[in-house]
Amino acid sequence: MRGPLSAWLVKHGLVHRSLGFDYQGIETLQIKPEDWHSIAVILYVYGYNYLRSQCAYDVAPGGLLASIYHLTRIEYGILDQPEEVCIKVFAPRKNPRIPSVFWVWKSADFQERESYDMLGISYDNHPRLKRILMPESWIGWPLRKDYIAPNFYEIQDAH
Amino acid sequence: MAASSSYMACAKFSMLGWLGGRRELKMRRVISVSPQEQAEVQESQEVNAQEEEKVKQPVQPRPVEPQVNVKSKNMGREYGGQWLSSVTRHVRIYAAYIDPETCEFDQTQTDKLTLILDPTDEFVWTDETCYKVYSYFQELVDHYEGAPLTEYTLRLIGSDIEHYIRKLLYDGEIKYNMNARVLNFSMGKPRILFNNDGQLQDV
Repeated sequence: MRGPLSAWLVKHGLVHRSLGFDYQGIETLQIKPEDWHSIAVILYVYGYNYLRSQCAYDVAPGGLLASIYHLTRIEYGILDQPEEVCIKVFAPRKNPRIPSVFWVWKSADFQERESYDMLGISYDNHPRLKRILMPESWIGWPLRKDYIAPNFYEIQDAH
Repeated sequence: MAASSSYMACAKFSMLGWLGGRRELKMRRVISVSPQEQAEVQESQEVNAQEEEKVKQPVQPRPVEPQVNVKSKNMGREYGGQWLSSVTRHVRIYAAYIDPETCEFDQTQTDKLTLILDPTDEFVWTDETCYKVYSYFQELVDHYEGAPLTEYTLRLIGSDIEHYIRKLLYDGEIKYNMNARVLNFSMGKPRILFNNDGQLQDV
């Protein structure tokens, strides 16, 4: 089962793996981190000019970290059902490095900073990759499954 | 490049060998800690070796020289112009020197830590309980020596002291000050014989 974009990528000899379709029928592809930057440029040229969302998650305890990109093709005259695709890039937990797509889609800026802040995925070539939600001196990556929250004091019983 | 190099300089600060001090006032409970002199480091290492043989001696808070003519000074712009602090309701820790009488706040002395204990007077403090908290503060500062001087480290210390205060409260060593301005019992409602069996219960 492969979608039209996957067939197009196969035709041009681009390495990827099809992960099927999500519940809305949007094609999902897995792309290796080392290929991701060149394929992102190709997808932009193909017509995916809008990065709808970027997020990241921890796949399993001790497993891989995933960075997800939802791309949309916005065109004049096509009002509903624009072409969409979902890209998943998996990085090893020991050294999670994924090329940044900031220079392709500028809206990836804060999203990638948040993914860095929460999961410690370091995006290569991101212009200002630093913590965005947590204080800058924070230690650890809060949304990883092996994160242990420090025993900080908050006012607990005040009423 | 300038920004990154000043950050490196920041990271080099550490709480290596901090001395403690304590000073008491009628209203304000302030303690300051400062770095050890080089000679004293060796001395204290010998002392530490002796102390290991003793069992669980509370750490003595080591006093800081009181300073005269302290003026309020802001931190340099290269350090962000902002002090380092950990502020919770009962524990305020600043990486600065605060004059206990005049409250002058010298942020340039980042080699000292100052603890202001319970500024809202929620608890009734005695000399012994204050001393316990100060010696626990000194113990924590000794424990975290070598750690980077960041808000995260200060918050770890401050939270541990808060938990310690909570334990003192549950053990009945301190109690709520019923004349405090705000009576919201931030560490749990007062109870009778709460912790009499030596077992911490769930709140």
